[in-house]
Amino acid sequence: MSRADIAPEHTAVMVDSVSKIFTQWQKKEGGGNIFRQHKKTIAALEDITFQIEKGEFVAYAGPNGAGKSTTMKLLAGMLRPTQGRISVLGMSPEKDRIPLMKRLGVLFGNRTELWWDHPVIQSFEWKKVVWDIPDGVYRRNLERMRELLEIDGILNTFARELSLGQRMRADLAMMLLHSPELILLDEPTLGLDVVAKRQMIEFLKKINREDGVTILVTSHDMDDLEEMARRILMISKGRLAYDGDFDGLRLLTGNMTHFTVTTDGGQPELAGCRLLGGQHGAFEYEADLSRTSIRLLLEMLSHVDGIRDVEIRRAPIEQIIAQLYQAWKS
Amino acid sequence: MVDNRVSVKRYFRLLGIYARMDLASLARDGKFMALVIAADLISNISAVSGIFLLAWKFGGIGGMDRFEVLFMLAYGNLVMGFLNMMGGCNALFPSRIIGRGQWEHMFVMPLPYGVQLTVGIFPFTGSSTFLSGAALLIVALCNLEASLPWWWPGLLVLLLAVSMVIVVALSYLLSSLAFYAPVQCEEISSTVIYSVERTMTFPLSGMPAYVRYPLLTLFPAGLTAWFPTMILLGKTATFETFYPTAFALFASLSAACFFKKGFRYYVKKGINRYVPGGHRS
Repeated sequence: MSRADIAPEHTAVMVDSVSKIFTQWQKKEGGGNIFRQHKKTIAALEDITFQIEKGEFVAYAGPNGAGKSTTMKLLAGMLRPTQGRISVLGMSPEKDRIPLMKRLGVLFGNRTELWWDHPVIQSFEWKKVVWDIPDGVYRRNLERMRELLEIDGILNTFARELSLGQRMRADLAMMLLHSPELILLDEPTLGLDVVAKRQMIEFLKKINREDGVTILVTSHDMDDLEEMARRILMISKGRLAYDGDFDGLRLLTGNMTHFTVTTDGGQPELAGCRLLGGQHGAFEYEADLSRTSIRLLLEMLSHVDGIRDVEIRRAPIEQIIAQLYQAWKS
Repeated sequence: MVDNRVSVKRYFRLLGIYARMDLASLARDGKFMALVIAADLISNISAVSGIFLLAWKFGGIGGMDRFEVLFMLAYGNLVMGFLNMMGGCNALFPSRIIGRGQWEHMFVMPLPYGVQLTVGIFPFTGSSTFLSGAALLIVALCNLEASLPWWWPGLLVLLLAVSMVIVVALSYLLSSLAFYAPVQCEEISSTVIYSVERTMTFPLSGMPAYVRYPLLTLFPAGLTAWFPTMILLGKTATFETFYPTAFALFASLSAACFFKKGFRYYVKKGINRYVPGGHRS
């Protein structure tokens, strides 16, 4: 019996000791000979294990080439693991592709499932037939998508004439027409402007909260991920480097906090704090609260001459991630 | 065990949605529709007119009279025309689907691959070759001197199907290479299909054996129009009647075997060559 068969009922995704090895053709060094090429083995994923419960909203992050898209493709059955077992909604993506696809939604930011030379509504009707969606479910979901994603104005527009934001909304709506229980989103906010991005984030949070749809999303925008997801899985060089919440991730690089001190006079000297910049009497610092306690920090600030204002905030997650990526590189 | 079979009713619903989409794209604009149909018909008739005019001028080619040649040209058009109608979404050109990474769209559709490849029909935009073939067939049949037995239409349909199987098998057999070399072999199926299309309607009757036999075995373009025509006109020995069917069986089994092997390699290695739009452009 395979692990896929024994995945608990409440588990949406189970990845068990999965590795994925690719081979690449590479030119041998120091030769202009076109016949001197050799195959190089690359481990895209190495012994990855994680589990996602039903109803979770999980971010999947990592630097370029870390193995994010490979994982998504493995979960969607587009690739098979070199070793290890995968279960998605209690099914094997390899053996149960057809029943799984009726319950799974997949969206890659750099591609579309819409028919390019047809109006959006035509693609929706095509999906209804191909996925064999019952009339009632189709009508109800279409109505909901029209309302939530504001796609009324684009339903009769040809897909090739949509802006990127409109296309992503149409793709999202189409993906959800068959009421998937789990959705895999690979870079869904890629190239979207601020408004389109906000719309998408709010929508995803809503369907996760209200419909209990399990979501696994990858993105390079860490602020977006933090806003959407409660849990983050981070991979580096094909290995799972972190699995937990965003606060825990901050602790990995120290409990970094940023604060701005506004004074009447010059720059205050604060022991254990790093000055990031300052102008017009406002100075920004970074402090590691695991080394300099908040009590000590406040005490130091109370002794600053001419202090007018203090603003303390958590370090941006982007910066934490950048530090982590840098550390993993070295 | 989950039953993944598609019922006949559902299969026809799938054919219906693709047909409707094809009609919608053609009927978008009346003028555009008229232009497309006219251009397609002219192009199809002119494509076969060269050989027919030669046959007309010389009273036939290689032992075939002019209307037998026309019958062969019609037969070729029916074969390729039907495949064009059924092979929308690049189903007739699988190396394009593979080489452009478009199989990734097929993975996420809850249908068996065989169904996906056969329901994507273009019955309207892809019908001109078939229609011109049907028109030429009627003209040829009205002018043929041979008397045809009652079972002849059945044999015609069977041989048309056999010829189509051979064309599809050739395309899938060579497209299997695209699983291993997607960049180099992306267009190998179009090379195969267009080569067959250009060679199939050449009358091989008067050709020497070293030309005729390779075209009936190694590159079997002769089995997609000329040889079946000779069978239908009663110009072959009885045992030769079964040769195209036997070849079609052998070719399709080989294609299925190599394609499955290539597919297993594909899902193991992946192809990082996704082209936006692809078969949906």
